[in-house]
Amino acid sequence: MLKSKAIWLGFCSLYFSPVLNAQDCHLALRGHVTESGTNEPLAYATVFVKETMLGTETDENGYFAIPNLCEKTDYTVVIRHLECAHFTQVVQLKENAQMDFHLTHNAILNEVVIKEKAIAPPSTQADNLVERADLEASKGLNFSETLRKIPGVSLLSSGGTIAKPVIQGLHSNRIAIVADGVTLQSQQWGSDHAPEIDPFAADKITVVKGAAGVKYGIGAMAGAIVLEPALLREERGINGWASLGGFSNGLGGVASGSMDWRPGRGTMTFRVQGTAKRSGNLRAPNYWLGNTAAQEFNFSAIADWKHNRWHHTLSTSQFGQEYSILRAAHTGSVSDLLLAIQSETPRNNLDYFTYKLDRPKQRVQHNVLKYKGVFHINDLWKLSGQYSFQNNQRREYDRGRANTVAEDKAQVTFQLWSNTLDVALEHLPIRHWQGGVGVQASQQLNYVSRGGFIPDYLGFGGAVWAMERWRRYPNPWEFELGARYDYRWNHITTTGNGNNNLDKQLAFGNISGTTGAIYHFTSQLTGKLNTGYAWRPPHVNELFARGVHHGAGTYEQGNPDLKAEKAWNTNLSLTWESRAIQAAVTLYHNRVDNFIYLNQPRDSIVLSIRGPFPAYFYQQDDAILQGLDASLSLELFPQLTAESRVSILRGFRIAYQSTPNEKDHFHDWLPLMPADRYQYGLKWTFGKKTSFSKRSADKQNRAGSLGETFVRLLAGTTLRQIHIPLEGLTKSAPATFTTISMDAAHTFHLSGRHKPSDQRNRQLLEVGLNIQNLSNVRYREYLDLFRYFTDAPGINVGLRAKWTFGS
Amino acid sequence: MFNTKMRVQTFLLLIAATVSLFTVGCDKGDDPTPQELITKVAVHLTGTNGSTFNQEFEAEDPEGDGIWNNIPTLNIPANTTFDVHIHVYDGATKIDGEIEAESTAHLFVYKPTGANLVVSDLNPDTDGKSFGINSKWVSAATSTGSVKIQLIHEPTDKNAADPGGEVDFEVTFPVTVQ
Repeated sequence: MLKSKAIWLGFCSLYFSPVLNAQDCHLALRGHVTESGTNEPLAYATVFVKETMLGTETDENGYFAIPNLCEKTDYTVVIRHLECAHFTQVVQLKENAQMDFHLTHNAILNEVVIKEKAIAPPSTQADNLVERADLEASKGLNFSETLRKIPGVSLLSSGGTIAKPVIQGLHSNRIAIVADGVTLQSQQWGSDHAPEIDPFAADKITVVKGAAGVKYGIGAMAGAIVLEPALLREERGINGWASLGGFSNGLGGVASGSMDWRPGRGTMTFRVQGTAKRSGNLRAPNYWLGNTAAQEFNFSAIADWKHNRWHHTLSTSQFGQEYSILRAAHTGSVSDLLLAIQSETPRNNLDYFTYKLDRPKQRVQHNVLKYKGVFHINDLWKLSGQYSFQNNQRREYDRGRANTVAEDKAQVTFQLWSNTLDVALEHLPIRHWQGGVGVQASQQLNYVSRGGFIPDYLGFGGAVWAMERWRRYPNPWEFELGARYDYRWNHITTTGNGNNNLDKQLAFGNISGTTGAIYHFTSQLTGKLNTGYAWRPPHVNELFARGVHHGAGTYEQGNPDLKAEKAWNTNLSLTWESRAIQAAVTLYHNRVDNFIYLNQPRDSIVLSIRGPFPAYFYQQDDAILQGLDASLSLELFPQLTAESRVSILRGFRIAYQSTPNEKDHFHDWLPLMPADRYQYGLKWTFGKKTSFSKRSADKQNRAGSLGETFVRLLAGTTLRQIHIPLEGLTKSAPATFTTISMDAAHTFHLSGRHKPSDQRNRQLLEVGLNIQNLSNVRYREYLDLFRYFTDAPGINVGLRAKWTFGS
Repeated sequence: MFNTKMRVQTFLLLIAATVSLFTVGCDKGDDPTPQELITKVAVHLTGTNGSTFNQEFEAEDPEGDGIWNNIPTLNIPANTTFDVHIHVYDGATKIDGEIEAESTAHLFVYKPTGANLVVSDLNPDTDGKSFGINSKWVSAATSTGSVKIQLIHEPTDKNAADPGGEVDFEVTFPVTVQ
């Protein structure tokens, strides 16, 4: 029941005795929305009058006004805010009145449908939310592409089809990718492996930059990428969307759809969502990229049920992808590799278009099953438990002789099963402290077929954590403190691959910690300082790899004596948010002790079956990564906004001369560090410009409602990386390049805009145009592992349409 | 309208449905194709024109880690003509036949350096282009050097200086012409 008494917190209904005959319909409802516990005004709450379909949002101080209401009429006022319970109240107006509305935090003990998903306070690390326009525009491209515009985030790619995000120079098992509360486990398989994420299933993507190990566990040394699905509906009925997209480069197409359903008068809600995608060979400005076709099929479903003090969520998702790997990048030996590098056009290239997926190719499957149960003990405390199961499979199909290829079987199969159980006890503010404690237990089994690069292992892990946040409105300070202890035990076994009958048991345990502070100088200017300590144990691969890595043309040897990596990450960020100017600048310093990397001692060559290969050995040294990320958005005229972003990073290790004398050290640049990057652009907005300050963007993302109408032109310049290791590079770093992109979007109201009765049939059609590499410029990127072989893809024109239906 | 019991039942049913979906989705007995490994390459030289030389030299990687353990020196008599045949093994299995069956997709490349040795007469593939599992070697005066033997898979142009394709194996035997 929506209009349950328990939610009638403000007793402000004004009943007007029916004396007047004439109805005055020019009254305004003015109100002030506050949080009942703290009296903190709630900014950016959505206020909506059901009967008239009129709505607005509260300003920074919690005030709102809705004009043109009639007297003596029952109006249902619905107020929604991210951090609070859904609020509904019936009011009658007598004259232009101002009312106070008090919203409470989520844990309310009644049958009322409330949104349990309390949004955590903003992180004290630097963080960025992917703008809704960018999120929509990049759907249909790969997931990592979505993050490209965020300062401090770059992509480590293997051609046009595989890319993974790099946060402030670190990637793979040094950052956490958390989708719907579950950390992806497969990222440890190496750098040539994209995250198994369907961007269509995500409604909000946040990038946390800094040590986030306390919250996201082992490995979140440089940050986390957190994806959240759209909120489920609160009222009975059906809503959803369907989306179609097409891309000129690779003649790709993508279709995705999602539907939410709340049946009857129950408190259960269901969602099904799916995406299908297909594309053929991509094209660089001067030639086709032979064998770069890809296809993808993803599915997810959620069942959500709130009952008394309980909230259960069961969700499952499946990600399936098959992609072929650029034929020219497939080399068997160092002689091949050198020939391929010298070749101006891709060697062995298949210079034509096809949708056919030929070998070498990979097939990736990722299944997640998650159950989360939350029990509200009382108004303040809640106990939650989450169990998740993940299965990752990767099959690598190599080229080979006809009789092996004929069987359509993979040469190498990786399988990883992970079970994770989380239990947390959390509380809403008590004496202005908000936070919780929790434990985690996990189990992991990794199996690699013969000839694979990584040994098999069975691992168990455990963790305990505690985290608290102090906020007292209007005190300008906020503080955060957190600590965590993780323990990992691995049993590693393998046969073959030079590690005959390996049978080792290894255990690692360490603490992580975080302290942070936020200071609100003014309502526009906020400063954040965070310093955190995070760690990760060396991966099995880094300990025991032994063999030829054909893709890279290297021989790699692990080092069983490696110690755990420990990072001390400090970042300071300042943000300015006003209507006309949004600016953010972040300075960071990340000191990583025992940083693990692949080193090639000079002239170390092994004579492999396929010829001489350079030998790389896993090694560790202390390293420092530091830099600056900045962004600025400036409103030149009401319609025209200029924007600019900068990412600068320096990463080096502290190397020692051959004499192990402490004083004989010098700085050597780390390999594969993102080059400095600048973006600058102009955006023209048609009609009423929606404020895109962060919180409002947040709200917009969640509401999934109207997008603005705009055209944007953006140029990005990536400088040549001049900070390269002493050892040199197999192929010199690519030159500075500038690419231009354009995007535009418009939303059509198909129906339901004016008539309140049509609310259920409200339909929107959002169309968008997105052009990448508009000038079709030839370039190669330092962080593209395929830069040895080919130019990056050329111009890509994408068109999309998204139909949204239901209230 | 649902009552609580029904809701619980629905929820449990959903769990069961999801779990079964997973079980069906799982691939069982997923044995991948064994890696195509080459663990031994043997060069068989047979003297012609009256020479009785008949010897096989084997380069081996018994562990299968991709690293040659032992590459012998080819000690061959001077001023002799040899019929040479290459044998390729994956473990105990000889895969010559497999390679010969796909002769158009393979090419043996010989590069003698230093030693007085000339390789010629590569036997043709089924399209009449070079293949080279059999070849003719002619040694001259006493000398030392090496011969690099490569097996190229899927060459793009068998007649070009860079035939394209990928190296299946590459081994450089030291050579002593005595």
